[in-house]
Amino acid sequence: MFIDFFYKLKDQGVPVSPTAFLTLHRALKTGLVSSLDDFYTAARTILVKSERYFDLFDQVFAHHFEGAELPDAEGFEVDEIARLMLEQWLRDPKTVADALGMDEKELSRLTPDELIEYFKQRLAEQKGRHDGGNRWIGTGGTSPVGHSGYHPGGMRVGGVSRGKSAVKVALERRYKDYSRSGPLTEAMIGEALKRLRHLVPTGPKDQVDVDATIYQTMKNAGEIEIVFSRSLKDRLKVILMIDNGGWSMDPYIPVVQTLFDYARAQFKEVKTFFFHNTVYDVVWKDPARYREPHGVAEFSRYDPETRLIMVGDASMAPYELMATDGSIYINERSGKPSIAQLKTLAETFPRSCWLNPVSERMWGYTQTIGAIARIFPMFELSLDGLEKAVTHLMAKN
Amino acid sequence: MSPAQPNFSGAARYVLDDELARIVNISMALEMPLLLKGEPGTGKTMLAHAIAEALKMPLIVLNVKSSMKLVDALYQYDTLTRLNDSRFGDSSRDVSNIEDYIRMGKIGQAFVADQRTVLLIDEIDKADTDFQDDMLDVLDQMEFDIIEIDKTVRARHRPVIVITSNAKKDLSDPFLGRCNFHHIAFPDPKMMRKIIGVHFPDLDRQLIDVAIEAFYRLREIDGVEKKPATRELINWIRALNADPDFNPKDMAKGELPYLGVLFKKSGDSARVANVVSRRRLF
Repeated sequence: MFIDFFYKLKDQGVPVSPTAFLTLHRALKTGLVSSLDDFYTAARTILVKSERYFDLFDQVFAHHFEGAELPDAEGFEVDEIARLMLEQWLRDPKTVADALGMDEKELSRLTPDELIEYFKQRLAEQKGRHDGGNRWIGTGGTSPVGHSGYHPGGMRVGGVSRGKSAVKVALERRYKDYSRSGPLTEAMIGEALKRLRHLVPTGPKDQVDVDATIYQTMKNAGEIEIVFSRSLKDRLKVILMIDNGGWSMDPYIPVVQTLFDYARAQFKEVKTFFFHNTVYDVVWKDPARYREPHGVAEFSRYDPETRLIMVGDASMAPYELMATDGSIYINERSGKPSIAQLKTLAETFPRSCWLNPVSERMWGYTQTIGAIARIFPMFELSLDGLEKAVTHLMAKN
Repeated sequence: MSPAQPNFSGAARYVLDDELARIVNISMALEMPLLLKGEPGTGKTMLAHAIAEALKMPLIVLNVKSSMKLVDALYQYDTLTRLNDSRFGDSSRDVSNIEDYIRMGKIGQAFVADQRTVLLIDEIDKADTDFQDDMLDVLDQMEFDIIEIDKTVRARHRPVIVITSNAKKDLSDPFLGRCNFHHIAFPDPKMMRKIIGVHFPDLDRQLIDVAIEAFYRLREIDGVEKKPATRELINWIRALNADPDFNPKDMAKGELPYLGVLFKKSGDSARVANVVSRRRLF
């Protein structure tokens, strides 16, 4: 019964397990489920284990039992691209107009809705994808419009960059809040991080040390003397700095999310900061990198025993790292190149490492990875690399 | 399944929607723990109290702490008392019998109780994953071992288990696999009116309407760290009601006293006061 339904849930990405499915059948046998409403509630409470999937469950349920439409991923993509193009248009009408081969004035007569329609039409006109072409909008082409292109100075319309060096990312302020939406997978990462613990006795002496008490009592010839000790607590301080900017980190978001989830679960004191590509004058406390800046210089006041973990692909245009005005943000112009700031951080926190989601054999192809690896010991963001990083962070001296 | 399955349909001080009632009944029928998530103040803990009250079962509450080990929740071996007794020997306990020095923890109490109990495990997400997984093993098997005396404690009656989580951390997959899950959404104004009605049966309708309306608007102010929830609203209405000078008509005009009851973080309350006075929210 309902096997179709079960598989439809699975196909749509709701994590359902066969055990839960059997439990659902057990529930059906109890006689408590007598209507479709009952079945809906029972199925949801038993099969779906997180409110994150409630909406998806509703859609699949409606589709299966009422014949409603399933969410259309492709249509969404077109909408999304059109929306992003509109954003770009609002910021810089001339580039978009030029890119589309239209007169700026003509476009500016359109309302936002009409504009979106227009963009959608252009996208639909392609009749399928045309990755690698050089007209219209697509991916991987040399036309100035589209994403993953290799047209320096062109504009990017969302998507994942492979060229890594598109000058000044066109669409700013699109960020991922890693802290919220991380899926719970790869419990192994948690296992690896567990070893990054530093147990020291702290707090009031409120734990009875039974062995010591017996020993002291014996020494006192049977007169009881109770020995108290402090309880062991994890006092390790960890600072996590995450590159959450730009498109270049997009492919690694799931793995960074997982790391972040476990870091929060493992450590009592973990401070998280965000940066884009590399560190200039400030890092940010909020994922949007907008509201709460935190100056790099201020870190000198922190406990040097703090472990600093940088996470990022360390891939950028070399000048972003080396030039004194390399920041892609106009307002960060302290005159210090990013590489000097990174050195400051590495000197402030001698126990530090850089976790790179790019696989190790690819490191040689990107110049900036090599440069940063000379400052921070760099490890691959994989289980193996994580183990090595933890060993490095916990090593005496 | 016994045909005399008790049916839960709400309690005196708890407004229950149909859906949640069905979920509670199914979980009891399947003898599976029910995991409740939701914003603080949406009545997760209250639900367990309501079930206990409605089904006339004793309620046992295990408040999970971050440093807690599973064994603390099961039983405690009181070494100090035993040491003391062995030295002075003036108690009725038998020093050579360790069992006299075993005290049951909350889960243990629920297992050895004479009647079926409601076991509330509150804020499970505070503990680490090992605690959660081990505990589910115990609750699955309905038994645990006391290592010191090599004795197995088996549950006499399978307790009704309600687990709450504030979603500070994600729970592990094996844990989730053994629970039924429900997310309590924040009540809408209509539901809220019912809830307030249950708590204040003879309160002035006008006061309730004005307060609830103001409450939902205040919740919409963004940038607030801790949004006020049902609990805060109830306390707020209590405060308003206790003030003899307070007149609901003033509130309709935009006067909002006792905002400190709703917003407990100093930053939040400053922000809200600012928004309320500057933008004339009402």
